[in-house]
Amino acid sequence: MVDILATPFLWVVATIALYVVAYWGYGKWIDRNVWRSDAKKATPAHMYMDGVEYFPVSRYVLWGYQFKSVAALGPILGPFIGITFGWLPALLWIIGGNFFIGWLQDYGSMMLSVRKEGRSFGPITYEFTGAKGRTNLLAFVLFYLIIISATFIALIASFWNAFPGTFVATLGILLAGLLCGQLLYRIKMNVFAVTGIGLALVVLSIYLGVLFPISLPWGAWNLPVWAFICAIILYAAAVLPTPMFIQPTNYLAFYPAYAAIILILVGAVITPFTNTTIQMPAGPFLFDPQGILGPIWPILFVAIACGAISGWHSLVSSSSSSKQLDIETDALPVGGGAMLSEGLLALASLIAYMVLAPSFFVGRTNVTAWVQGAVVLTTPMLGGLTAAVLRTFFGLVLIIYALTVQALVTRFFRLVAGETWGESRFRALGNKHVSTVVGLGVPWGFAVSGSWWALWLYFGGANQLLAGLAIMLITIHLARVRAPTRYSLIPGVFMVVTTLSALVWQTGTFLYSVWAYLQNDNTWVLRNVRGPIQTDPNLLIVAVAINGIFVVVGAVLFAVGVSMAIRLFRSYSRSVAEARGKAPAAADGGTREEESP
Amino acid sequence: MADSKEPAKPKSRGRRVKEGVKGVFYGMAAHGHVTAALRTRMYLEHLFMFITLGDMLGVPVIPPYYSLRILPYAVPNIKSWKQRVFRERDFTDQVF
Repeated sequence: MVDILATPFLWVVATIALYVVAYWGYGKWIDRNVWRSDAKKATPAHMYMDGVEYFPVSRYVLWGYQFKSVAALGPILGPFIGITFGWLPALLWIIGGNFFIGWLQDYGSMMLSVRKEGRSFGPITYEFTGAKGRTNLLAFVLFYLIIISATFIALIASFWNAFPGTFVATLGILLAGLLCGQLLYRIKMNVFAVTGIGLALVVLSIYLGVLFPISLPWGAWNLPVWAFICAIILYAAAVLPTPMFIQPTNYLAFYPAYAAIILILVGAVITPFTNTTIQMPAGPFLFDPQGILGPIWPILFVAIACGAISGWHSLVSSSSSSKQLDIETDALPVGGGAMLSEGLLALASLIAYMVLAPSFFVGRTNVTAWVQGAVVLTTPMLGGLTAAVLRTFFGLVLIIYALTVQALVTRFFRLVAGETWGESRFRALGNKHVSTVVGLGVPWGFAVSGSWWALWLYFGGANQLLAGLAIMLITIHLARVRAPTRYSLIPGVFMVVTTLSALVWQTGTFLYSVWAYLQNDNTWVLRNVRGPIQTDPNLLIVAVAINGIFVVVGAVLFAVGVSMAIRLFRSYSRSVAEARGKAPAAADGGTREEESP
Repeated sequence: MADSKEPAKPKSRGRRVKEGVKGVFYGMAAHGHVTAALRTRMYLEHLFMFITLGDMLGVPVIPPYYSLRILPYAVPNIKSWKQRVFRERDFTDQVF
């Protein structure tokens, strides 16, 4: 057995122990003393039960649903950029983010929605900040969705390009999903039989992927072509009825995706027995030694988003989950528990990177690193399978995570666009097909032109800013009912300030790149783009234009974020001032206020 | 005659674990799809109710003769239909 200190084992154990303290110590304390959850209080699931949107669901089912809805590519790829500053800062942020902020946001969003009759964040924002605040949130979410889409399309294209076996495997799963949809809903076949057939087809797809690897012959143009194919698949997913395509495909994709998580977690725990040691350095801590990303603050805190805290989770927590919570005390295991479990996924992914040589991370372009790390961790357990099969399997898992979430995001964009423009002068943009084309075309443009890490930092910035805004909404509610606010106010202020700073840094980087070009230095402009634009000297002006567009995108995100933050901080100040004039109350929706003289 | 209202026996630990694992698996794999299917049915039911009761609400969708023929099927759903239609909805409700 290898020296246990040289393996990630102790870090895994220590992190899990801290998560246990976060849940049973800090979490229970906040639940009891700040929110004062009450198992006897009627939840919206009981008050408004309609058997469709509002109905009580067991905490186990809801935990599974919540975890599946929040766990995606974020905790897997975030640590890839975060490890730039060394694995120790990345690990500390994953632990600290989960411990003090992540679970608090997911749980708080759920409790806030429960206390507000199961309403989602749109109406709550309207109540706290007025009509302009809600419009502001809508604009922010639209930009946020475009950035997510660009990032995920760029990554899917990169994965297909890097792992030749994965395209056939992906197609196989999509076709298996279509077939299972028909078997389930048209032929009405038994769900277990359909699952058996579907899983056999998934295994066959991976096998065929290994047998028939596909590589495109167009060199630098491969990525734009892969991204275009991805956009076509997403278009079909967004406009076809969900039972026909998205639902059965997501259902089948669930099995390999979660099998991979379990395999990697087990692989990480048994590293002392498999002689798998840490290869990456713990530092350098403060700056990116390659001079690409910038300082550890604020970059690390937006690079590792979903594995530590994520704004997307607040939307999920306040959407379906809060309407189906059986009793208030279930909010902690469902909201907080699911977030801490995602923290485990981030930990497993970080360990997959820690066991790789530093050369994998030169230039931040090697998106295959997670797959290589997963193969290193799991090969000792699955020695019978060849590296080619494992690479195809883990590569496919990455694509599945990105594709299934992106299909939902594209659909959501279409619905938001319909809501925004459906009744306005620009009602053509609310049309199902037009909005889907816009929601995929613009991100495709970003995906094929900007480098993926630049997009990722914008995505992380927007996502984390949404998280900060969600925590501020929670804080406003707590202030209104005179519950302690400091436990959410401090993380909220930290997230808002950090993410706005990250957006300024990123926007400044693009602005500096354009300025450097004007001073006859092309390196910065070319560094921020990819594919044919980076390599073809004739396309230099396009690279400059793309940098300029990214300046505008960053500036708009920043302006909308600042505007939203100001509204929320003003609302918080008003709420504190109003609450001071009232009798003591609790975070129970204000009932004690009404009872007081 | 045995009392039919005997208090339910507390579940054993093994059974609770089994139910928990089953619940988590169902929640991860299928709950979202079941909810989505229920929502699709809800929108179709809204349409059905609107077509049936439209005439009484001042929107003559189909002639009153047919509305009255279908009315017995619509009446049991009126309460939950009203509740759902009057509910405040927002784009953030569409996330999941």
